[in-house]
Amino acid sequence: MTSIDEFRARARAWLEQNAKPFDEAAGHDGEGTSVPLEESKRFQKALWEAGFAGITWPKEYGGQGLGAEELIAFNQEAADFELPTGPFVIGLGMPGPTILELGTEEQKRRHLPPMLRGEEIWCQLFSEPSAGSDVASLQTTATRTETGWVVNGQKVWTSGAQYSDFGAILARTDPTVPKHKGITMFIVDMHHPGVTVRPLVVATGHAPFNEVFFDNVEVPADAVIGEVDKGWDAAVVMLRNERVAIGAGGRARTNALGYDSLLEAARTRGLESDPAIRRRLALLYARESALTAYGRVLHEETTAGIQIGARGSAAKLAGAELALWAADLAQDILGSDLALGSADLDRVVAAVVGAPGGAVAGGTNEIQRNIVGERVLGLPKDPGVDRNTPFNQLKLSR
Amino acid sequence: MSLIFTDDQKSLAQTVKRFVADRTPLPKVREVIGGDRSYDPEVWAGLAGTLGLAGLTIPEEYGGAGATHADLSAALRELGAGLVPSPLLACVLAAGTLVALDDEEVNRKLLPRLAEGHVVGTLAVSEPGNRQWIPARPATSAVRSGGGFALSGTKVAVLNGAEAELLLVQAAGPEGTGVYLVERPADGLTVAKDDGVDPTRGTATVTFDGTAARLVAGDAAAALDHVADLANLAIASEQSGAMGACLAMTTEFAKIRYTFGQPIGAYQGVKHKLADMYNLWALSDAALREATRAADEEPAKLGAAAAAARALTSQGYLASAKNTMLLHGGIGFTWEHDAHFFYKNAIAGNVLAGDADYQLDRLADKLGI
Ligand SMILES: Cc1cc2nc3c(=O)[nH]c(=O)nc-3n(C[C@H](O)[C@H](O)[C@H](O)COP(=O)(O)OP(=O)(O)OC[C@H]3O[C@@H](n4cnc5c(N)ncnc54)[C@H](O)[C@@H]3O)c2cc1C
Ligand SMILES: Cc1cc2nc3c(=O)[nH]c(=O)nc-3n(C[C@H](O)[C@H](O)[C@H](O)COP(=O)(O)OP(=O)(O)OC[C@H]3O[C@@H](n4cnc5c(N)ncnc54)[C@H](O)[C@@H]3O)c2cc1C
Repeated sequence: MTSIDEFRARARAWLEQNAKPFDEAAGHDGEGTSVPLEESKRFQKALWEAGFAGITWPKEYGGQGLGAEELIAFNQEAADFELPTGPFVIGLGMPGPTILELGTEEQKRRHLPPMLRGEEIWCQLFSEPSAGSDVASLQTTATRTETGWVVNGQKVWTSGAQYSDFGAILARTDPTVPKHKGITMFIVDMHHPGVTVRPLVVATGHAPFNEVFFDNVEVPADAVIGEVDKGWDAAVVMLRNERVAIGAGGRARTNALGYDSLLEAARTRGLESDPAIRRRLALLYARESALTAYGRVLHEETTAGIQIGARGSAAKLAGAELALWAADLAQDILGSDLALGSADLDRVVAAVVGAPGGAVAGGTNEIQRNIVGERVLGLPKDPGVDRNTPFNQLKLSR
Repeated sequence: MSLIFTDDQKSLAQTVKRFVADRTPLPKVREVIGGDRSYDPEVWAGLAGTLGLAGLTIPEEYGGAGATHADLSAALRELGAGLVPSPLLACVLAAGTLVALDDEEVNRKLLPRLAEGHVVGTLAVSEPGNRQWIPARPATSAVRSGGGFALSGTKVAVLNGAEAELLLVQAAGPEGTGVYLVERPADGLTVAKDDGVDPTRGTATVTFDGTAARLVAGDAAAALDHVADLANLAIASEQSGAMGACLAMTTEFAKIRYTFGQPIGAYQGVKHKLADMYNLWALSDAALREATRAADEEPAKLGAAAAAARALTSQGYLASAKNTMLLHGGIGFTWEHDAHFFYKNAIAGNVLAGDADYQLDRLADKLGI
């Protein structure tokens, strides 16, 4: 056995011992919010103790120091299980890798190990009511004090803020320069008394995200991620990681709009031999495999030291498009069962209704197309009037 | 093995790319397809002999290089990108059929010649009026005659049927469906070159009327099923290369063509179509890498992976070639521009060795749906 095979076997054995196998029949909300937080934390800790958290992160910050091959092997095995790790996905997928890349030695030692052990949960505080696609138009401010900074403003659509311990926040530190040049990224303590979190209910009826208000929230000087006024560069690093994390999903039995799930739905209704449905199921399989393979190419290139640049956006876009396409297929397979509701379909209905959310979260499809066009293909930027205008002279939505 | 190219594959691709640029760039391809041969014999000699592509995946014991499917795929991408007319695909499928059938005597005799590129071989399976690329029950028949067999029937869409000296013909014989070898020249053989939509790909209708043939021993059904996978890998490789060429050509144009005071690539109507073309190419190419990986190290997964890759490249290439014409505006519709050659190649490639529905049905079969 090669070391990868050994690792894979060890992962499988651990998962079989410790994780719940995926059960089609059980009720799921597709967002992992049905599991109590304490259970998620316990599980993440056990995962870390067994050597399966932070697989590719350096050992000195609590990681396993292994490569993409191991990560892929683990994810492939984990696809058959229901892991209650939802609350950690953002921290480990975005702020974590950003701190790893841009953080100070002290930030890495302080924040990364507890993140991996499931002791501290993180959220991403980028979007604002009038700054979503155009995040750089954000209006939350951070003003210098004698000891650091004080933050004021409002964020919105913040996933997981309700249980987060820390957030990576973008705030304007200089309004007199063009919008991309006066932003700084900070680590903010979500337990500060000036932070107010209010849940927002989404289309599926759940409340996975929030609006977050900052009222004179002090942050110390050493909470800056990267450099002062270079927050846009840090944001680009984080969004790049986000898109890889979101896009690289691929085949999992737990995906309600995935091949396994829709094949099962078609079988239950005797539709799997309908020639048109059968072909669309085959195409779903093909598109899903292509996405998995593309994610794997990006991971392997990263390991081999090849810059993947903005190609994570291509994966994110492909994943969102596939989910929207599969949502249509699900409707054609399920017909009135879907519209009228039935107990075994809760998770499919949630996924069909939730598919547009995936095409907005982490940057909309239009924005991803712009990024692929401009940063992967090198096309000229959209004509824009705001690149060189000082932020305080820009037109913003009200 | 991984999904990223090895140094050997990168250098092979580079060599083939240079060969295409030097010896068979698109203006040269135009001259060739204007003539009456479907390819330039000198270019073929270079590809087959100098670059060793004819024998690349033929086992070493039969005079080939015994290279991997991923290696061949890397070379085919470059030939697809250049729309290079050549009988390589026909030869790869003929050699693949022989290797899969494993008739030792025939292999000893023919594979070394195919490996050197001294002889063009092809596979004749499709029949008129049957949409299955490989018919389950061929109407072409083989009856015993003298020490061998005599073939009667018609095969269509035979790759390089006009030039091939070795034809491997699927026919119903006394002991079931088999693969029969016809060596040209032969009596009772009529070849009519197709006037197909894609001038870069030569195909022909071949009629057998008591044509002398020999039965190639082996499991014909299993061998042809495997060859369907090889065809998917090879065509998907060419299509992926061609999609990449369409993307590069159109991206370049979008940077230098100005309307309303901006390069057209600055407008989302153009930019977003190019982003979609990028994704069609990048994802189907990743699926192709997974398919060649399966061919080289996990054969049980080859059938599904190859059909999946091919279903994606065929459709993706058609969409990309169409957009290449559209995004070039008026010039893209002219004969003088290359865009229409890609579009025609995509149209023909979409049905070659099984159309999109055929591939999806095949994929569903392999998945056990
Ligand atoms: C489920 C979910 C979870 C989220 N989680 C988080 C989170 O944890 N943290 C966080 O900070 N944010 C989060 N978001 C916010 C998300 O990043 C934004 O919603 C997204 O970037 C879009 O911004 P917006 O909502 O302001 O839409 P807008 O930017 O107002 O866009 C409206 C429409 O206009 C289009 N559009 C805008 N600009 C252009 C342009 N230049 N060209 C073409 N089309 C354009 C958009 O594509 C969209 O279709 C989440 C969103 C969702 C749905
Ligand atoms: C069959 C045919 C017959 C014709 N007959 C005539 C005729 O009789 N008389 C005549 O005068 N002309 C004729 N034309 C020319 C035709 O009107 C032009 O080709 C057409 O207007 C496009 O212009 P263009 O070729 O310069 O392309 P371009 O303007 O260079 O466009 C190239 C690509 O960029 C896109 N594009 C350009 N600007 C934008 C933008 N702002 N936003 C989004 N996308 C953009 C276009 O949609 C196109 O896809 C004919 C063309 C054809 C193909």
